[in-house]
Amino acid sequence: MKKIVIVEDEESIREELKALLLNASYEVEVVEDFKDVLGGLLKIDCDLILLDINIPNMNGEVLLKEYRKQKDTPIIMVTSRSSETDEVLSMGYGADDYITKPYNPTILLLRVGAVLKRSEKAYDHLSYHEWIVYPTKGILKKEEEEMILTKNEMIIFLNLLNNLGSIVTRDDLMTDLWNNDEYINDNALTVNISRLRRKLEEMGYEDAILTRKGQGYILK
Amino acid sequence: MKFKDYVKDHFIEILIFFFLLLFLFCLFLLLKLSFATNFFILSLITCFFLFSFLYSYFKRKFFFKEFFSILEKIDQKYFITEMLPTANFLEGKLFLQALYEIDKSMKERINESEKSMTDFKEYLELWIHEIKLPIASLILRNHNKKEKDNKELEQIKKIEEYVEQVLFYVRSEHSKKDYLIHECDLNTMIKNVILRNKDDFLALNIEVKTKNLNKKALTDAKWFEYILNQIVSNAKKYKKEKDSIIEFKADESDKEIKICILDNGIGIKESDLPKVFEKSFTGENGHNKKEATGMGLFLVKKMCEQLGHTVEIESRENEYTKVIITISKNSFYNVLK
Repeated sequence: MKKIVIVEDEESIREELKALLLNASYEVEVVEDFKDVLGGLLKIDCDLILLDINIPNMNGEVLLKEYRKQKDTPIIMVTSRSSETDEVLSMGYGADDYITKPYNPTILLLRVGAVLKRSEKAYDHLSYHEWIVYPTKGILKKEEEEMILTKNEMIIFLNLLNNLGSIVTRDDLMTDLWNNDEYINDNALTVNISRLRRKLEEMGYEDAILTRKGQGYILK
Repeated sequence: MKFKDYVKDHFIEILIFFFLLLFLFCLFLLLKLSFATNFFILSLITCFFLFSFLYSYFKRKFFFKEFFSILEKIDQKYFITEMLPTANFLEGKLFLQALYEIDKSMKERINESEKSMTDFKEYLELWIHEIKLPIASLILRNHNKKEKDNKELEQIKKIEEYVEQVLFYVRSEHSKKDYLIHECDLNTMIKNVILRNKDDFLALNIEVKTKNLNKKALTDAKWFEYILNQIVSNAKKYKKEKDSIIEFKADESDKEIKICILDNGIGIKESDLPKVFEKSFTGENGHNKKEATGMGLFLVKKMCEQLGHTVEIESRENEYTKVIITISKNSFYNVLK
């Protein structure tokens, strides 16, 4: 399980962020002692840091710069300041991404996922049961067998696969699709999911996608 | 300063002088001076008088001519005290002294009010960043709830939008530049705006189309996204009952990129069209919808001007509205790269 550290002095946001990331099945640690954030961060071994720019006692950008001198754990800067200058500066100091408050939670999760994926040293092949997934080619392969997915189906499938066994809401799927320039509506999403179901059936997995009424879908 | 006016202004003195001449003339007649002597003395006096009269006229005339020509040349009239001519006569000196005092006090007042304005703007910006924290917290809270409350989320997003409007208003008024123009990916910026409005597009059944957006443009991403968001929010507000479409497309030429946002909404009345960018103008559409503040397009125009883009609007009532933003390409920037 990936471990994420949250550096955020605003307690209400910190707690909600923690809940959000826990729900998305990440391991979460929060920094509560703001006397020596840098020292604290350097001691923790984690996969990603969410760093607020306005933390007490130290400027987030300075902290970022200092941290980068010693470690290269991925960092996403979070801020309520929203000027391009801050963003460019942060990226210059070595942040991997930059998000402005108030953010869309689903987008935040997508960004977190993207940064984590980028930082993985050895990209292990995505697979579903015995099938190997080739996202860019849009196919699933098992020995000689091949199943072709459309772009939309692949986006949905990957999202479900990344959250294997847990609920993905329709809204999450929709956000992911829109984030990939596929501006489809509710009906189209339903159609895409039933097509994906049929294809999974053809592959020999009946009822692979479960519907949880009013909540979302689960891939098993 | 015309001679006629000057004579009019010194009418009394001239009158007194003529009375003096008359008086002397009579006096000399009584003293039985010869006519020639009489005439000679009187014309001598008249000459002296004329000379001194013209002398003071030209002294003033040259002074004021110089003064007004300086005044005309400078842009901010109140800087006149920095480059005043010198006066070599009493009224001129008094005039300059008074002007100096008045100007100084006015400059002090301006500085004072500018300072308090800046203080206020800085405070407002700070406050906006503060208020964003509880908004962010509310959005997260809402997301973490088992059952999402979309109505609540909608309201929170409205608060967010209004808060943002204040922020960009303050920024666009600020003389301090806090934008950064660099090469931005058009597709990413437009996608961000579309994603921001995703829930509304879905709920209002607005179809989103994009075309030809894989381009780079010289702009400030945050500002540009805000500008787009304002235009999109108008398209949402003034949509048709059904089959709504909003389309984003871009055209590139050697010199510029034109970004076009087209919707098939209720459009804008022809008579309202020239006024849409005015502050607080709501027009007929605005009167029918209560939410119009008349700030949206005003800010769009203002921010575009600051960034050096141009914005135009085309529309036909009940058919379409088309907003075109033109971003010029800077050949100098390409050379630098």
